[in-house]
Amino acid sequence: MKNSEFSGPRYWKSLDDLAETPAFKDWVEREFPAGASEMEGVNRRQFMKVMAASFGLAGLGMTGCRRPEQVILPYSKQPENVIPGVPIYYTSSQPGQRDSIPLIIETHAGRPTKIEGNPSFKPYGGGTTLFAQASILDLYDPDRATKSSQAGATLSPSAVRDLLRALHKQHSENGGADLLFLAEPSSSPSRLKLVKQIKQTFPKAVWTEYSAVDSTASERVAQDLLGKSLRSLPHFDKAKRVLSLDCDFLSGTDGHTAFVRSYANSRRVKSSKDAKGMSRLYSVESTLSATGSAADHRLRLSASQISSFVALIGAEILSQSGGDQRLIARLKAAGEGFDVDEKWVKECASDLVAKSGKSLVLAGDHLPKEVHATVFAINEALNAPISYVEVPKAEEGIARAVAQLNTGKVGTLCILGGNPVYNAPVDLDWASAQAKAASSVYFGYAANETSKAASVFIAQSHYLESWGDSRTFDGTLLPVQPMIEPLFETFNELEIVSLLAGSETTEAYSIVRESFEELGGTDFNKFLSDGLLEGSAYQATKLNLDPASVVSTVEAAAMARPALSASNLEIRFKPSSHAGDGRYANNGWLMECPDAMTKLTWDNAILISPRLAKELEQRDGVQVFPSKMPMNKESEFFEGAKGTLQSNKAVFKRGKEQAVVARLSLNGRTIVAPIHVLPGMANYTIELPLGMGRTEIGRVGRGVGFDAYQVRESGASSIAVGASLELTEETYDLANTQEHWSMEGRAIVREGTAEYYSKHPDFATKMGVESHAPANYGKDDSKTLQQKAANQYRGNSAYNHPKFTDPPPNVNAWKGKDARAKFPEAQQWGMAIDMNTCFGCSACVVACQSENNIPIVGKDQVLRGREMHWMRIDRYFSAKEYKQEEVPEDVQVSFMGVSCQHCENAPCEQVCPVNATVHDRQGLNTMAYNRCVGTRYCANNCPYKVRRFNFFDWNKRQIGEFYKGPLGPVDEPELHKMQKNPNVTVRMRGVMEKCTYCTQRIEAAKIDQKRLAGASGNVKVPDGKIKTACQQVCPTDAITFGDISDPNSEVSKMKASDRNYSVLGYLNVRPRTTYLARLRNPNPKMPDAYKKPYAYAQYKKRYGSSASTSGHKDKVGGHDKHSSHSHKAAPAAH
Amino acid sequence: MANVFPKWVNTIPIKVIVAILLIKTAVVLGITYYATPKYTRVGYAPTQPVAFSHALHAGQLEIDCRYCHTYVDRSEHSNVPTTQVCMTCHSMVRKDDPILAPVRDSYESGEPIPWVRVHKTPDYVYFNHAVHVNRGISCMECHGSVQEMDVVEHTKSFSMGFCLECHRNPEEYIRPQEEVYNLDWERPDTEEFKQEALEFVHDWKVNPPQSCSGCHR
Repeated sequence: MKNSEFSGPRYWKSLDDLAETPAFKDWVEREFPAGASEMEGVNRRQFMKVMAASFGLAGLGMTGCRRPEQVILPYSKQPENVIPGVPIYYTSSQPGQRDSIPLIIETHAGRPTKIEGNPSFKPYGGGTTLFAQASILDLYDPDRATKSSQAGATLSPSAVRDLLRALHKQHSENGGADLLFLAEPSSSPSRLKLVKQIKQTFPKAVWTEYSAVDSTASERVAQDLLGKSLRSLPHFDKAKRVLSLDCDFLSGTDGHTAFVRSYANSRRVKSSKDAKGMSRLYSVESTLSATGSAADHRLRLSASQISSFVALIGAEILSQSGGDQRLIARLKAAGEGFDVDEKWVKECASDLVAKSGKSLVLAGDHLPKEVHATVFAINEALNAPISYVEVPKAEEGIARAVAQLNTGKVGTLCILGGNPVYNAPVDLDWASAQAKAASSVYFGYAANETSKAASVFIAQSHYLESWGDSRTFDGTLLPVQPMIEPLFETFNELEIVSLLAGSETTEAYSIVRESFEELGGTDFNKFLSDGLLEGSAYQATKLNLDPASVVSTVEAAAMARPALSASNLEIRFKPSSHAGDGRYANNGWLMECPDAMTKLTWDNAILISPRLAKELEQRDGVQVFPSKMPMNKESEFFEGAKGTLQSNKAVFKRGKEQAVVARLSLNGRTIVAPIHVLPGMANYTIELPLGMGRTEIGRVGRGVGFDAYQVRESGASSIAVGASLELTEETYDLANTQEHWSMEGRAIVREGTAEYYSKHPDFATKMGVESHAPANYGKDDSKTLQQKAANQYRGNSAYNHPKFTDPPPNVNAWKGKDARAKFPEAQQWGMAIDMNTCFGCSACVVACQSENNIPIVGKDQVLRGREMHWMRIDRYFSAKEYKQEEVPEDVQVSFMGVSCQHCENAPCEQVCPVNATVHDRQGLNTMAYNRCVGTRYCANNCPYKVRRFNFFDWNKRQIGEFYKGPLGPVDEPELHKMQKNPNVTVRMRGVMEKCTYCTQRIEAAKIDQKRLAGASGNVKVPDGKIKTACQQVCPTDAITFGDISDPNSEVSKMKASDRNYSVLGYLNVRPRTTYLARLRNPNPKMPDAYKKPYAYAQYKKRYGSSASTSGHKDKVGGHDKHSSHSHKAAPAAH
Repeated sequence: MANVFPKWVNTIPIKVIVAILLIKTAVVLGITYYATPKYTRVGYAPTQPVAFSHALHAGQLEIDCRYCHTYVDRSEHSNVPTTQVCMTCHSMVRKDDPILAPVRDSYESGEPIPWVRVHKTPDYVYFNHAVHVNRGISCMECHGSVQEMDVVEHTKSFSMGFCLECHRNPEEYIRPQEEVYNLDWERPDTEEFKQEALEFVHDWKVNPPQSCSGCHR
């Protein structure tokens, strides 16, 4: 039809070249343009035709309300190995700067949806980090860079390649004299090779590397002392005594996935007999870290004073173990006059020396050179189970790059990754240095502060879209496989570097394959299917330390011991758990995942010690701690409740943390940020979490937190002394998911010492109300776990509840005795969480989010308590002297992962008016979303507070648009939809949700088993086949899941432990998730030794004396007598 | 004498009539909408982009279901065949037939043929084909006698009651495993067979779920 041909060019009439087309001429010749008398693009006849169709539809009544027509689009040609509906798993890895995480990635129809750890790599055992879990969301980040550009104009992929080739040609003429590179460090052997090639092609070019968080201190010291860049790999599974000097090896350092796993193994206790074989951890630290919270003895000490501490303890250890006399003398001199508990040092040293060969000392990467040198010497003297491996020497840093730029002779600056404009030391003034380069090329994943300042921006592919390789911390080679073609026109790092190097092969796959062969690999397919190259780890070498070199290092050190005070504070810069060094700042999962210690979401805060808070409060006259008053003082229960405090109603706004805003000054630079009081911090050390407060970033990270880089200088990039804080009258709302930090003496997290446990193996079950009340199971209390799982014992009730495992009464096929004998009894799912090996890393929280399509809700909604995480990690502090009005300074920290407990007598089920939440025959507390009408009765009735309600359409609507209701735009980014797990319903507004024990995984395993069973009738899923998302990701295997009706399953064995207990067990809700009490292993000779963990002592204080009579104080044995007593008092416990 | 009833009482009859009318309309509309087979789409037989006849292929030619629906016994989805599968025969058989033009176009262009979906469970139902066809449930229990249909038609209601009916009484629907894809097979109405079916249920331990978690995740 003429008109339709015509309507296209009509809009292009202004283009000159179209003027010559026949259609254009036709248009010019007509008196009126064709469309002028017609509706836009549709003439009247067409309009009537279309409308007639819809009139017809209208005549058909409600047909339009029926389900819309859907189409099925099969492949035109079948790709290999793809079965629609069956996920495919590929190995890959998350490449890091010095450590990489081996992964297995689940893909559905070519879309990666979930990241899991690769258990083939034994040291990590299938564990991953929080960041690795969340990194899949970055792939589907709608704000990521989708195209390359030059001065605002889009560059096509071929233009980018041409540009890089031209750069290569231009600079190879003069050997790269005016060429400068600033790259992020990388563990990839392929990149290392290409860098070598670059250095050969451009002998005069400068190659520098910069990482905002430097963790190479120990390697640099080894380089200085021994001429070799040596990396220490501690073997915690062989260590019985560990001293950590401000080294957060459980969650902060590179390679911590292996450390946390082997450390957990050294703490794992099967029965009370091996309790004494537990390892012991001493931690000396300036801020509160996961390592400090795991420690048996913890000493708070500012980081700038640790040199002196090391000198003292080093001298002690060396003299006890017969070390070099000169070094001892030197260390003694260096530590002289340092005010620290001498007994602590002495006893700690003796304990380490006593376990010589099985003890080791670690130092944090921010500590000065002399500490690392001394630690080398100590570990040599202790014959510590540490292997040393030689790693590539660190490249020159950013200071060299700035110096080069400041000469004004840099023609081209190539920035490969990173974000120096944002995170370079502030005194180097990177932004203006970068401007001095004639042109700058920035290669990065998203538009950011640096890309804005660069003349050319090249978009980087996500690692799930790229070929590559990487090495773990111990050097094992891992593949990086693409799961999906790049979603946008983005580039692989290897291709960019090889184009710059001018190499012949620029295809990443070939480069990777080549370097695989160079590292001794032969079978590339096996490499990809295993996900690692066996035996490719770095070779261990001897340390061969010369004590004299340590002596001279210590001698040369300033050993300054700055006098810290409220006006002379020490700052510790640490990457934040929400954004790392800033690279994850646009990741919503991480933003909303509460920080392990502070439980803050969507913000970072200046973390200060309670003492400093008090001093500032007095000095500046600003109230930091909200005033508290006793709750229900008039109540008769007040005494019994030990006067529980609550916030004063007068200052209680929305029930959320009203943080005081403070002004922090350091060397004339100032930042204004909220403060958060964190117990366990060294008195005059404050922590500034890095990576937030970005200015050039996508929707998630905008306006979130404050930028601590603004006061960070080179030379003081992880510790800075001389800061001061000044409180202001302003306050700021912090979205804190757990403000109440104390258990108030309740037996929620049960803890004991190893010693106490070995004498009283049943201590965990003799705490809490249920130890006083008659047994929940009444006369059936002695039944096995398996019997209890299958039967609903009613205590002393006359009524017998039908068995879970009986055939459903409405099925005729299984009626009769013979049939019953053959009936496949349903497996009974249960979970055990060993709190002895949980260090609060929160990887499970994000793993659950990723597996179960859990949305993020934004800060405003978290402030209203509407976060949606199915799993949360509760963090409790307990102190030796518990005072309700005060935040304690020295604390013991306990973590507890809480998700739906799948109670057998679930309180939620009893109140649901529509039977939307009911029990199934496998003991799961199920949630039928399509039945839920959103009364929220269930959430009200849940004692564990694990149910989450969809107050809004979190998935469909953008954060900030929730309140517009139907007027707001419905725009779920297509990219976000791609991440969703197709086997889990995406919940809509108005329904309740909660942990399902990953019912989709259970069903998939059951279906698989049934599908293949055939006539064999073997329909039982074998133990270990089902791993819940949280269990799979846990690097310490703290979570066990399986069939509790099978006495030989792993979870039954865990639950058979005498440490096993139910939280709030006295409610008789009979949770299927139970916990194994935590053990601490203090050294009785230490000055800060404790007979019972503080949490236990607090519990005793609250319940031990008043509720019980004599003989119950410390001895738990008086239980029987006691239970009969309470039996009389409260006979109707059921 | 003052009025016993205030004046507004006069409007009550009208209000009642209007209310009754409204309720009646709602009931009538509700029943027409929900209680007709159309609600469960029984009888739905959309026109497909290619007039593919199951009666010809599965009925007359007796091609096994799995020749096209390749992964039905391995996956939760019973896949719709790729164009490639059509072309295995139709590159030789009726290779110039105009009816098959979309198939040839798709094969050349790589664009999929937009088949119209006939059978659909709601989004919150996770039905798995593999576990059914591997355990004695034939295709026709849900899809009807496809081998007799020129145009595929929705014959069963696909309501939750329909699913549960079979999940409660598997012995009445189960058939020997080797007859699962034999759509012409007829269930013998004998005591002997009933016993056989019951034994199948017992030996294979067929215990279909009735709990929510079986299908809703």
